[in-house]
Amino acid sequence: MARNTFRTDEEVQNVFKLGHLKRLDKYLKPYAGKFSVTLGFTVLSSALGLLAPYLTMIVMDQSIPNRDIGQVIRLSAFMLFTVLINIYFMRYRMDAMAKVGQGIIRDLRLDLFTHLQRLPFAFFDSRPHGKILVRVVNYINSLSDMLSNGLMNLITDLLSLGIIIAIMLTIDVRLSLVALAGMPLLFAAVFIIRILNRKAWQIFSAKQSNMNAYIHESIAGVKITQSFSREAKNKEIFADVAGDVQKSWNHGTRVMFLMWPSIENISSFVITFLYIVAVAMIAEATLTVGVLVAFVAYIWRFWMPINNMANFYNTLITNMAYLELIFETIDEPVLVKDRIGATQMPKIRGKVTFQDVAFGYEDGQRVLDGVSFTCAPGDTIALVGPTGAGKTTVVNLISRFYELNAGKVLVDDVDISGVQLASLRSQMGIMLQDSFLFSGTIMDNIRYSRLDATDDEVIAAAKSVCAHDFIMETEEGYMTEVNERGSRLSVGQRQLISFARALLADPRILILDEATSNIDTRTEKALQEGLSRLLKNRTSFVIAHRLSTIKDATKIMVVDNGTIAEEGDHDALMALKGDYYNLVMSQWQG
Amino acid sequence: MSAVRWGLPYMLRYKWRLIFGQMINFINILLSLVNPLMAGLIVANVIEGGQRELLMRYLAIMISITLYRSITRYIFLVLYETTSQKIIFNLRQDIYHKLHIQNFRWFDKNRVGDTMSRMTGDVEALRHFTAFTIYAIPENILIYVAAVVVMALINVPLTLALLITTPIVVYSAIKQAKELHPAFREVREQFSNLNSVCSENIGGNRVVKAFTKEAYETDKFTVANQKFYDANMNTARVRIKYFPIMESCAALLPLILLLVGGLMVIYGRLELWQMVTVSGYLWMLNNPTRMLIWSVADIQNAATSLDKVYEMMRQEIEIASPEEALPGEKVRGDIEFKNVSFRYSFEPNSEVLKDISFTAKQGQTVGIVGATGSGKTTLMALISRFYDANSGEVLVDGKNVKEYHLPSLRKGIAYAMQDVFLYSDTVEGNIAFAAPDAPMEVIYDAAEIADAHEFVSAMPEGYETIVGERGVGLSGGQKQRISLARAIAAEPSVLILDDVTSAVDMETEHRIQEALAEKVLKSGTARTTFIVAHRLSSVKDADFILVLENGTITERGNHDELLAKNGYYAKLFEEQRGGMPHGA
Repeated sequence: MARNTFRTDEEVQNVFKLGHLKRLDKYLKPYAGKFSVTLGFTVLSSALGLLAPYLTMIVMDQSIPNRDIGQVIRLSAFMLFTVLINIYFMRYRMDAMAKVGQGIIRDLRLDLFTHLQRLPFAFFDSRPHGKILVRVVNYINSLSDMLSNGLMNLITDLLSLGIIIAIMLTIDVRLSLVALAGMPLLFAAVFIIRILNRKAWQIFSAKQSNMNAYIHESIAGVKITQSFSREAKNKEIFADVAGDVQKSWNHGTRVMFLMWPSIENISSFVITFLYIVAVAMIAEATLTVGVLVAFVAYIWRFWMPINNMANFYNTLITNMAYLELIFETIDEPVLVKDRIGATQMPKIRGKVTFQDVAFGYEDGQRVLDGVSFTCAPGDTIALVGPTGAGKTTVVNLISRFYELNAGKVLVDDVDISGVQLASLRSQMGIMLQDSFLFSGTIMDNIRYSRLDATDDEVIAAAKSVCAHDFIMETEEGYMTEVNERGSRLSVGQRQLISFARALLADPRILILDEATSNIDTRTEKALQEGLSRLLKNRTSFVIAHRLSTIKDATKIMVVDNGTIAEEGDHDALMALKGDYYNLVMSQWQG
Repeated sequence: MSAVRWGLPYMLRYKWRLIFGQMINFINILLSLVNPLMAGLIVANVIEGGQRELLMRYLAIMISITLYRSITRYIFLVLYETTSQKIIFNLRQDIYHKLHIQNFRWFDKNRVGDTMSRMTGDVEALRHFTAFTIYAIPENILIYVAAVVVMALINVPLTLALLITTPIVVYSAIKQAKELHPAFREVREQFSNLNSVCSENIGGNRVVKAFTKEAYETDKFTVANQKFYDANMNTARVRIKYFPIMESCAALLPLILLLVGGLMVIYGRLELWQMVTVSGYLWMLNNPTRMLIWSVADIQNAATSLDKVYEMMRQEIEIASPEEALPGEKVRGDIEFKNVSFRYSFEPNSEVLKDISFTAKQGQTVGIVGATGSGKTTLMALISRFYDANSGEVLVDGKNVKEYHLPSLRKGIAYAMQDVFLYSDTVEGNIAFAAPDAPMEVIYDAAEIADAHEFVSAMPEGYETIVGERGVGLSGGQKQRISLARAIAAEPSVLILDDVTSAVDMETEHRIQEALAEKVLKSGTARTTFIVAHRLSSVKDADFILVLENGTITERGNHDELLAKNGYYAKLFEEQRGGMPHGA
């Protein structure tokens, strides 16, 4: 999937796929009972609501000329009854629709989120995180109304339209025909404006999301902007982006505001015509005043359902685009998952074997080709080599974050493709290049890897990575809140915390991917001394560029061009005078 | 209220447009009283009075009034929307500007998400206010009053009967607004909570997988999801309580008209045409009350948002160019620290830097080493005046940084930060960040020096490749090299490299340093360079090296001098070169 920036509008396709609606069935089904009862009530209550002009007509045409006070009171009592019963209907409906709408999106959202947890790194790497976020939060929210009130209104509007026409026809066929003559015009106007309107708002929402993306980036990168004095240029770009929002909004409102005048003018022409015909008919005594008043009232009620239906049509189309993106995410294949009959990984002793492993992130690409090695439990393996050589890939395969193209990865002679992922990964401690911290206390962040760890265990882990001292120096010690990405801490300090987090998990295999690159060598040394005791019985893989970090490894592997070019301990490789030797020497020459 | 005093000028700037709009609208509302009257007159004069010749006149009036009203209303609405867009545009620009002059210290304390919502959610609330609420309130008051007056002119007792429900509507509406306010806040809060749980999960997806915490994350999400559901259901409950009552009051009006009006006509206290006319005014009683109640909530909302925006806008800018400072030439690159002390918090004895003094001459290379948290990054941030020293002076070209026009000062200093941030833009756009109009050769050249050209060219789309916000998709070393190229492309007089080669292998780093030196040599200009690093190989060729321990400089000198001192640096060197064959 191509990447998206603030400069490019997000594409929203207007596709109508019945399949998507069918899939929603699963979420609607639990509410089928509630939905049908509500539908019944709603139809009944809107039918009752439509009676008012009819009753007024009877009063004007019959009760008043006949001075029938009893009839006026009876009809009023009946109206009062309909009003009261409507309160109950309305309550039931509002309650039911809130439950249906909110319930559906809660269930759908949970499904989507749960699925996201199973998706591979590649999914998250290939698109802006903001785009994934809006799928889970915003897009699903916008479905809520369509699936509850929208659907309900559509059905009732269709019925009320029918009922109105039926009532009008019962009262007077000739006037009905006059009134209905304006219908096609009204329909056409409403739908054309609605469609134009939708397009205009689509443009607006694309422009708005561009602007939001730019604001977000501007805030996140403001330190860079200030340090390069680029404020003026940024403001220029922002003026452009915000100007686009302004323009598209103005365009949108210009179209949207056409709606009312059109309806009003068409209605007023129809009503005028109606008056002309009606007055003539009343003169011939074939029509009464009450009928005329009732008709005018009904014509006004006409446009509401039509407008609502046009509205629903628009929401439907927009939401189909959202649904498309939501289901696309739910359908995203889970590439790495437990095989059928996958077994529990026994407690790992720590032997790791690669047998002719070949791997590429994309088809036809070979990041690793024919990688084979074995290491014994308790070994420390250092991976060195130029950036992009495939070091990170090697360690990612040990945790089975990706499926191999060829070959096998064995842990304790067990092929890891046949074991349950959770049982494998829970025995590994992985420290990544990007030391991501969650917002929360330092204590919570370290505890993340083992939620049942006691405070003492957390502190012990922090001590073993030399993080305890600086943590105690912060305002509230372990209870200090760190911001998103730990922005209050220096990069080195963040790395120490995520190191403690990895250790706390008591992993059998520890993977350190440039985990200490921003920590000074002195602290690193103290750290390693503290660790050596802890690491005694664990196998560890270390990716680093610092000689001091790697030279004591049991085995150093030079990864270059997707293969292991050299293998051995520091002394052996120095004696070899190959790549490793050159790498080491380059640090000191020049 | 000072927030209002601050916000008002944004609107007053367009006062004539706003006043003109209100005038159009007032005329419109008065005209809307005519049509129901026409309908009544048709019944009275044409149908009952038999004056058929009047019909066409009445109808013509009705049509022309509708036409006039719809056209002017359209103009009015568009006028108000465009005006509100102008107001909001200016406001947004000002907030954006403020953010760009705001200091690091402020950004250290405020979360991106919160600042973001000032510029989106709160500005949207103000937009709604300026586009809608400011005309809806006078409009609805006028409609209501006009309807009551006209109806009273027609018949006072009937009017009074119709006003019976108004207190109930007002009462319920006020109660509802009161209860909805906290309910809406709760929804907003739960929404932003859901957002941050989700956003953290996506951002930290690697950590989640690495520790197999998928189930834990799903639990955390389920709680947030359910809370959001509950908050929504809570607002629904409030609405269910009051909405049907208000709706029923509206539905009661035709009933009252039917009963009271019907009886009055029968008893001869009312003409039929009067009853028809009044029925045409019914909506003018109901809608305004409902709208006014909503407006109360709108005002509350807008006031809250205005407060929040103002709170941000009134924050003092501690670090700004002095008024008399004028944009000047690029700095030459003489840097001097005189007894500089600095602390982030106001607590005493929490100094991050203590009594720092050193001089770096134009063209010199200065290495900075020291433990994690010893103050290296802070020291560098003071040169560009991202923070102000608590005591002592930082001098650039012999002039205190506080006397500089800030952009001029910073323009000459390229600061490549430890925490690499790339924009979601092309590689080229990222490298050209400091010099957007730089020719491609400068970009290629910078990339070449930073040893990025090769891997960038190897990517399918080369320099046109789009990288993500945090440079996701690139390895740590690749990100660092692009950010390094960005600093080089700025062609600064002072280059600060804050641990930017930590994820780059030694060989590459060595190449980069040679290329940098060669570039400076070729251009003939002297460039002052600061290198913060943990690998001593990065700094050993520097003209002098500062060793920072707990915020003070404990050792200084060049590589050989420091080795001779046999102190921290020498020990560090020994540790790092341990295992190296001697004499290398």
